Amino acid sequence: MAATNSNRLDEPILVVRDTTKRFGNVLALDRVSLTVPRGDFVTLLGPSGSGKTTLLRIVAGLETPSEIVDLKISGQDVREIPANHRNVATVFQHYGLFPHMSVGKNIEYGLLVRKRPPAERRRRAMEALEMVRLPDKYDRRVHQLSGGERQRIALARALVTEPDILLLDEPLGALDERLRRDMQVELLRLQKSLGTTFILVTHSQEEALTMSGRIVLLNKGRIIQDGSPQDLFDRPQSRFVADFMGIENVLEGRVSSCKSGETIVAVSGADIVGQPIPGFSPSVGESVFLAIRAERLRISSGAAPANAGINSVRCKPRLRIYKGNHYDTELETQVGTLVCRQVDAGALPETGFALWDSRHCVIGPMNPSTRQT
Amino acid sequence: MTDALAGAALMRVARRESAMLRLAKAMAIAFGCLGVLLMYGPVAWLALMSVSERPLTGKPGPFTLAWYEKLFADPRWLDPLLTSLGIATIVSILCMITATAVGRTLPHIGRTGAWLLLVFLVVLFVPGVMLGVDFIMFYRLFLGVRTGLWSLIFAHFVWAFPFALLGVLVVAGRFDTRLLESAMDLGAGRWRRFRDIEMPLLFPGILSAGFFGFLLSLNELPRSIYLRGGTTTLPLFQWAEASSHTTMVPLIYGLSTLITIASLGLTIIALRQLFKGGAA
Repeated sequence: MAATNSNRLDEPILVVRDTTKRFGNVLALDRVSLTVPRGDFVTLLGPSGSGKTTLLRIVAGLETPSEIVDLKISGQDVREIPANHRNVATVFQHYGLFPHMSVGKNIEYGLLVRKRPPAERRRRAMEALEMVRLPDKYDRRVHQLSGGERQRIALARALVTEPDILLLDEPLGALDERLRRDMQVELLRLQKSLGTTFILVTHSQEEALTMSGRIVLLNKGRIIQDGSPQDLFDRPQSRFVADFMGIENVLEGRVSSCKSGETIVAVSGADIVGQPIPGFSPSVGESVFLAIRAERLRISSGAAPANAGINSVRCKPRLRIYKGNHYDTELETQVGTLVCRQVDAGALPETGFALWDSRHCVIGPMNPSTRQT
Repeated sequence: MTDALAGAALMRVARRESAMLRLAKAMAIAFGCLGVLLMYGPVAWLALMSVSERPLTGKPGPFTLAWYEKLFADPRWLDPLLTSLGIATIVSILCMITATAVGRTLPHIGRTGAWLLLVFLVVLFVPGVMLGVDFIMFYRLFLGVRTGLWSLIFAHFVWAFPFALLGVLVVAGRFDTRLLESAMDLGAGRWRRFRDIEMPLLFPGILSAGFFGFLLSLNELPRSIYLRGGTTTLPLFQWAEASSHTTMVPLIYGLSTLITIASLGLTIIALRQLFKGGAA
């Protein structure tokens, strides 16, 4: 086993090709493909109904795809293999702990059905409890545990079988803010130390950014963008990505001129200079979106500087909101309301100019799908 | 001024409402007590008669255990008792198996389940004697099935099954099927999922189905009258003896008292089993 595994080290641990899932008339997944290298931590991100959980459940074998071209786990075709014979384990949002078994028996269950001897089961369950930092809970009943503890037990129960892939279906959704942050760190620590491939499903972009090196963003059953958090943040492929990733300022306009690397977009009568995302060469008259993160904006009381590459629109500061370690100020401008993020609470001018560098103003197509075809 | 008036009016309303509430409570307690008295009075009276010297007069005392001594000296009731226990055990097992099979499915098949439940329960509203006559006409006269032990078992099962089903449904309705999914995810096959997860969690319901089957069979009379063939169950024996105006009648009081106490004990155990799961 070990020898064959090491031969396949560079082979992806998961290959999904062109999977489609319909629930009645609803298209939950539309020809989605995904390849995950061994040892990666991938996040499937998307709003509810985007198909992210369906994709996870297809990998687990808990959902049968309507169509699928290929599904390989560790190089093995598992399309016809039921969930109980796939070497993946899931941590459910509802935890799914068995209420009639002790914590220890819950953790041992995966080993019990694999017919491991009792002594080994107990030893590995204790190790798993150690791993999730609940070493003295072996004999507890499930209903005696807090939400965060149940979460950890569910994690230990899934990991104890040493799955090829650990699937996490919104595992932190039911926890409160503080606990969620702790568990995020805990999951990262575990993933690093075990080297197991983790696939996490979440609807929280904040969680996706914290947790993984690769985010697969889904919407309406399709993969919209697949890349590093920086990719999604700095080079959103579509207006949806920019909005979903929480980029504060997203504008729409039409391209008025594009000369070598400098694209000018007319937004409500103002000319805004920006940079097209890689692979996008806009043409004059095309409708595009512009995305500017709030921390890239400055407020200046003086007139707009003349030098090129700096955008400047007249603004009226409105509402300033204290966010703990920074301030968000809403600016009324002719292109709409912009949000500016500042670390210091400097005095706000009555009226002024919102300034931002054209390098920090990305331009993307409004209709990426029609453009590709 | 108006504030004070409004306050006084509000106080009056509140006082009237609390008086109504007290009255309602008192009435609930009174009716409850009356109901219990009507239900258990005769049973208690029977027990009292069974230790009285001249039970047929209907007046208690002077007290004696003589009837119980005679009862145990004259074991004619032993064979019917053993027959009844045997039938009840078989009916109980049948109830556990079938009620589990049906009860675990009904909650998960939507509207079909609701209709099927109605079909299963409607038999409860057919009078027992009628059902006995129906059975003998259909099975004995029309299909030519012989009456006897097995026809009794069958009739008792038909009688007890709806109750057994309700017992399982109480538990199956709150069973979280997502647990089966997580067991499957952990590698458990169909049989292991049932044995390790579903059955233990449904067990209180299964057990109470067994108890219901046992008790309802043990005390069944109206259907048995028609379907007995040559078999005599304990209720048949008691019924025959109690209506025969022989010297055996006082013995039946003692026997009935013992059966009632045993049934009561079993019922309490069954109900405790059924509702224990809800507290956890």
